[in-house]
Amino acid sequence: MAKETWENYKERKHFKPSPLKGVRVLEVCTMLLGPLGPALLGEMGAEVIKCEIPPLGDTTRSLNPFGWFFKDQSSLFLHINPNKYWVGLDLHQPEAQKVFYELAAKSDIIEENLRPGVMERWNVGYRQIKEINPSIIYLSKNGYGQWGQYAEENRPSNDGASQALSGYSWVSRFPSQTPLKMRAYIGDNYGALNAEVAVLAALHYRERTGKGQYIEFSQTENMMRTMSWVWPYQQITGKGAQPAGNRDVSICPADTFRCIDDTFVAIAAPAPDEFRGLRTAMGKPELAEDPRFKDHLSRLKEENATQILKIIADWARTKTPDEIETLAEKYCFAASRLFNAKDVVENEHFRERGFMTEIDDPIYGQYRDHEFPVMMSKTPPKNKWAVRPVGFDNEYVMKRILGKSDSEIRELYSCGALGKWTEVQGRRPPPGWDGKAGLIMTRDRL
Amino acid sequence: MMTRKRPDWAGWADWVRERDDPRIAHTRPEALDDITVLDLSYKSFAGCYCSSLLAEFGAEVLRIEPPEGDFIRTCTPYGTLYKGEGLNYLTEGRNKFHITLDLKKPEGREILKGLVGEADVLIETYRLGVMDDWGIGYEQLKGINPRLIFASITAHGQFGPMSKHKMPDYDNIAQARSGFQYDTGERLPDGKSYDECPWAVPTKSGPWIAWVASGTFMAVGILAALHWREITGEGQALDVATAEAYARIDDYAPLWYDQEGHINERFGNLDTALWLYCFAPTKDGAVFLGGLRLEMWQAFADMMGKWDEWGAANWTTLAPFMKEEEQLKWAALVFEETRKYTTEELVSMSIEYAKHGRLAPITCVVAPVSSPEETMKDANWLDRGIFTPVFDPVYGEVVVAQAQHKMTETPIRTRWVCRPVGYDNEHIYLKYTGFGPSKLKELREQGII
Repeated sequence: MAKETWENYKERKHFKPSPLKGVRVLEVCTMLLGPLGPALLGEMGAEVIKCEIPPLGDTTRSLNPFGWFFKDQSSLFLHINPNKYWVGLDLHQPEAQKVFYELAAKSDIIEENLRPGVMERWNVGYRQIKEINPSIIYLSKNGYGQWGQYAEENRPSNDGASQALSGYSWVSRFPSQTPLKMRAYIGDNYGALNAEVAVLAALHYRERTGKGQYIEFSQTENMMRTMSWVWPYQQITGKGAQPAGNRDVSICPADTFRCIDDTFVAIAAPAPDEFRGLRTAMGKPELAEDPRFKDHLSRLKEENATQILKIIADWARTKTPDEIETLAEKYCFAASRLFNAKDVVENEHFRERGFMTEIDDPIYGQYRDHEFPVMMSKTPPKNKWAVRPVGFDNEYVMKRILGKSDSEIRELYSCGALGKWTEVQGRRPPPGWDGKAGLIMTRDRL
Repeated sequence: MMTRKRPDWAGWADWVRERDDPRIAHTRPEALDDITVLDLSYKSFAGCYCSSLLAEFGAEVLRIEPPEGDFIRTCTPYGTLYKGEGLNYLTEGRNKFHITLDLKKPEGREILKGLVGEADVLIETYRLGVMDDWGIGYEQLKGINPRLIFASITAHGQFGPMSKHKMPDYDNIAQARSGFQYDTGERLPDGKSYDECPWAVPTKSGPWIAWVASGTFMAVGILAALHWREITGEGQALDVATAEAYARIDDYAPLWYDQEGHINERFGNLDTALWLYCFAPTKDGAVFLGGLRLEMWQAFADMMGKWDEWGAANWTTLAPFMKEEEQLKWAALVFEETRKYTTEELVSMSIEYAKHGRLAPITCVVAPVSSPEETMKDANWLDRGIFTPVFDPVYGEVVVAQAQHKMTETPIRTRWVCRPVGYDNEHIYLKYTGFGPSKLKELREQGII
């Protein structure tokens, strides 16, 4: 039974293995699209080594909502980079490229999200790395891929461009208004997620055949992949897909409604039993007889959808979200208030499941964060530690993985191949750091 | 396109294209063609999307529907059907074999158990307890096949205080619970009410992004579980709650509340955490402007001829621009300038600036805010094979988005887009159970398939 499978999942997850144990990932990523992918692998137990150009590293270290930093660190950066080891490696330098080769020889996966051609210019492109490690799985992510007009024009890109160019924002808004940029960095963060499907499929193929491969991924194309009906609709009807505000044009009724207290509730009740439940909850059993609403395909028709949604809106306006949620549970349809950040963080269900988890980090202390949202009964993924200053784990990686001596490491520092953070916000350790916490190798050295 | 000047890394572009152009995908092997997936999902686009991803990589997916078909087939925009099929399902039936089986009947469940013996993955989206009550929950099926990966996608998950709730899993509900809808959308103008501005409310994504996120997270989980099974031989159960999967896409909002008690609010087409980063009006539409590093913001000011007037040379950090009031003030100035140009002019100005501008090669990202109609005609995407029509034996020529993963060894492909209900019963039951035409006739008459 499900109960048996999942009993004490949250408490027991620390005593179970991770699914990607033994997989090593090298990352040369920046912003959000790049780094989140390796982090997801890291949460599933892969060993992720993040290489940044010292001393400033990843630009995301600077990003902040309205000027707010968490202990001198970017909250965006922190959220998308858990469970990594941090190396400051200046890939412009031949000595650093040599270190990268040594790491690549011992890695399974490399991920980068620079402009096309940059990794190759630094002698660490796929064609160069596969000479050292033919079974490497090498992923490049960006806005437009590695070939084609936009890529070759060297157009820069990012999340907003992918939302804009794919048409995603155009259909996400109210019809009278201009296209709306989604607050979520969907192009980046969903892009990072879906790219990992290819990486893990390639890993499976490698386990079968020993063969590695190169994967290119355009976040803009990926946004198009999420838009389902839009493309065949345009092809078949010859009409452009149109925005519809909060109404789901493929499910009826499904919309967001304003309640008596001027807050909002989302409702969905398309299946016959669900729509019956909603009719009962509204005290409108007579709607069952109405031919306009008799089945789902009838309700979905523009003229009928508008009318049923108006009836529900008038009813919802007299209720609180709480009352509607209670009725939904009683009559088996779906309804939810709109969760804000407080609701998400404090939600008892999310906490009991361990989805809203507590991190206990040697450098950043305790804070709440999302757990990896796939619960795995035998191999639970775990969000374990926070980000680190630029080059923080240099010594650990050079010694533990590459077996370098102190003098070799000193040499790499003196030629500038290796480097650490500078005294800039987001790059340096948090205020009050004791000079030791979180360091793996050199914490007792004077 | 042949005449455009090619970059100095064109050799790399050609090398990749020779190996991963979707046009040659059919000549290459497939990554997951040793995997068999049973997709029992019901009323769930998340389940369909999850199995589509696996099927695009070559997995043999048996889509198992009740004899009357899955309700999700009726979830189609404005009730539009094409050759009898809903348009969402038309895009996510891809590469799957469609069979029918009534799991409410004990005989149907016995047949399922037979299939489970040959399967690697099972995807289901029933309310908690339904599969157990039917005797085909994970604890029961692992006795038949200990290597089985049993993947459940639901509204609230398999455990936790709300898991016993009866609420069905719909995309708009998960968007509401994720935290994203609350703080996405236009702000209510000062002194106005919702009655006057019914569009200035929390706004969800148009596409089914919460379902897409949960289906994709589950695909990632399944592949990781397959990796672990390679090592240990053991299957396991996986649990995704749709609202959680989509919420994980968030960045700063939860931590901001956790540490500061700050609740993030709507900020229209500007961005709470980034400057310059917004949609801006143009003479004939809108563009996205992305200049989130100081130098890119300076490049934008320069490109618009405002280097001196705005004092861009003296800017040393983005910090002063990050505050809410400053963003609003600067946005007004920026929009005044962008309105003077067409979208196409602004895009070209950015590309040119990267070549000849004062800060070149640094430039500001400028992208047209396209309608999906424009996107579908864009030569760049057509060239990259995203909208190459699929020639489906049942539905004819259909355009669906595809080829989003380009790979040199095992590229994805879309062989067919969809199948009617029970279309593959003959082939699949013969292959997996040995049931020939007369047995199938009998099962059909009994309403089992």
